[in-house]
Amino acid sequence: MLEGVRDAVRKFLRSSADYETSVNMFVKELQKTLIKSDVNVRLVLQLTRRIKERALKEKPPPGASRRDWFIKIVYEELANLFGGDVEPDVKPKKIPWVIMMVGVQGSGKTTTTGKLARFYKVRGYRVALVAADTYRPGAKDQLRQLAERVGVLFYTEPGDDAVGIAKRGVEWAKKKGAEIIIVDTAGRHRKEADLLKEMEDIAKEINPDEVMLVIDASIGQQAKPLAETFHKTTPIGSIVITKLDGTAKGGGALSAVAVTGAPIKFIGTGEKLDELEVFKPKKFVARILGL
Amino acid sequence: ELDLKKLEPILEEYVLLLTEADVAYEVAEELIEKFKERLKGKKIRRGEDEKKIIEDALREAIYDLINIPGPDLVEEAKKAKAEGRILKIMFMGVNGVGKTTTIAKVAYMLKKAGITPVLAAADTFRAGAVEQLKQHAERIGVPIVTKPYGSDPAAVAYDAIEFAKARGFSVVLVDTAGRMHVDVDLMNELRKVARVIEPDYKILVLDALTGNDAVEQARFFDEAVGVDGVILTKVDADAKGGAVLSVAATIKKPILYLGIGQGYEDLIRFDPSWFVERLLGE
Ligand SMILES: Nc1nc2c(ncn2[C@@H]2O[C@H](COP(=O)(O)OP(=O)(O)OP(=O)(O)O)[C@@H](O)[C@H]2O)c(=O)[nH]1
Ligand SMILES: Nc1nc2c(ncn2[C@@H]2O[C@H](COP(=O)(O)OP(=O)(O)OP(=O)(O)O)[C@@H](O)[C@H]2O)c(=O)[nH]1
Ligand SMILES: [K+]
Ligand SMILES: [Mg+2]
Ligand SMILES: [Mg+2]
Repeated sequence: MLEGVRDAVRKFLRSSADYETSVNMFVKELQKTLIKSDVNVRLVLQLTRRIKERALKEKPPPGASRRDWFIKIVYEELANLFGGDVEPDVKPKKIPWVIMMVGVQGSGKTTTTGKLARFYKVRGYRVALVAADTYRPGAKDQLRQLAERVGVLFYTEPGDDAVGIAKRGVEWAKKKGAEIIIVDTAGRHRKEADLLKEMEDIAKEINPDEVMLVIDASIGQQAKPLAETFHKTTPIGSIVITKLDGTAKGGGALSAVAVTGAPIKFIGTGEKLDELEVFKPKKFVARILGL
Repeated sequence: ELDLKKLEPILEEYVLLLTEADVAYEVAEELIEKFKERLKGKKIRRGEDEKKIIEDALREAIYDLINIPGPDLVEEAKKAKAEGRILKIMFMGVNGVGKTTTIAKVAYMLKKAGITPVLAAADTFRAGAVEQLKQHAERIGVPIVTKPYGSDPAAVAYDAIEFAKARGFSVVLVDTAGRMHVDVDLMNELRKVARVIEPDYKILVLDALTGNDAVEQARFFDEAVGVDGVILTKVDADAKGGAVLSVAATIKKPILYLGIGQGYEDLIRFDPSWFVERLLGE
């Protein structure tokens, strides 16, 4: 996945400076690039410290030059940061498959719920959406309109019993023969204890097969603590990065990968329902590293 | 005299500290670079704490950068009312930052001050956008002007102003659809709204959780439409809000208010000294 990196490192190491100076210069540049892409500063420092240590300590195997060995080290450490280079499996592992959407306010949960409905419907699945955001005015209308546009089953109730709506919605959808059931929840952040408790309660009641964390590409350093708190409350199974059609690089999502171990499955590239793509690690690495 | 060479590692630490608070990297770097100039030739007396002197100087530098006076919207509304004209405020920003919610909070603030604003639902694109603003209007008890989805946003804004004129309201708050700053067509659409209604204030709404992209958002909106002031939302999400610095350094426009929760009361005036404390304080 990192051919581009390989080239960049190679070019850099072609400089006439001695090995240690070249390594230091490279590491500094890498730090800058990653921080500008919103990768968590602590993660970046850990990564570059490790690269430097290995570069100065490890002896290349016979026949390999130190500079070639350095390329391999950088490659390995970056692959580690990005969570490997396998494309995600987006097929449900069983039927029915219940997905619970979570994320901070405005990250794109409801829109992504609509996009996922379309994605799976097009692939032949019977899909149901459950609107369990009882906080944001108009949230249920928003999801209802998206469900109508896509043409999938839709459930909600008036009132503010989010846990009850989610529970009855999933039961209803199962009875209707839905194969993929997606529950949209309210936005919340890590200081909203009541809302986190609610999220935990919803998960307890519906027992989701996959909790999907929706991350805005523009989020900065708070991505890490945010993902940590969410993961502690309801273990995260997968990640979606939204709004990659803007100028933000999306490095915040890497913090979520690092602290949850969950793979990035989809990316959002626009507001429209078909603007959802299966995540491609290669493309993303190139974006973050500015290659 | 301060030995700048010796201070280099400390200053580099500051760059990281600022980026960790979500100040855009290029802004943090430049700020510290300029800060170095300020430190040049600074004398310290024996027994004085060097680190404290530097930190105080940094506080000062940041304060100077962000201390840009901006209008108090309640005062502006009162003035408009007294003069019998209509204060037109347009809100804009990228998707999901909190524009609609912020309008509701501003409407609530004005209503509490005795001035009832008219809301214009000029987001005719996003699913549920009209219903969202309508529910806010009902809860707060202010009039709202809407048109069907797909209508021209400029026409909605225009109608709201006509409505306000006809009924004697003195403030119109225009909600617009979220859009990516790099989407040329949508930015032109926003320009058209501004051209048609000639707002007194064009307010950029920015999410405090934003990292480096704050610079891009501020720059593009300011270039395409013009920004008169900024409101930073979701500050309650434990965000340090370094975007304040990114904005001040990039477009030199004032931060007017901070959003600190989802309730109508959760809007406070921006106070530069409070912010410096939050950014650098323990
Ligand atoms: N440009 C762009 N906009 C997006 C994308 N995904 C979502 N949006 C927009 O982001 C805004 C917020 O999306 P929502 O789906 O309402 O976000 P949410 O997480 O459900 O918000 P809350 O329920 O309030 O927490 C809307 O304007 C969406 O149209 C994307 O990939 N690209
Ligand atoms: N915690 C917190 N949430 C906020 C704040 N301001 C807005 N929100 C939430 O952010 C989410 C998005 O807010 P909206 O007002 O719909 O954002 P918008 O910019 O109008 O979104 P689009 O019109 O889709 O672009 C909602 O869930 C709001 O409740 C704030 O200051 N703090
Ligand atoms: K956001
Ligand atoms: Mg939502
Ligand atoms: Mg809105």
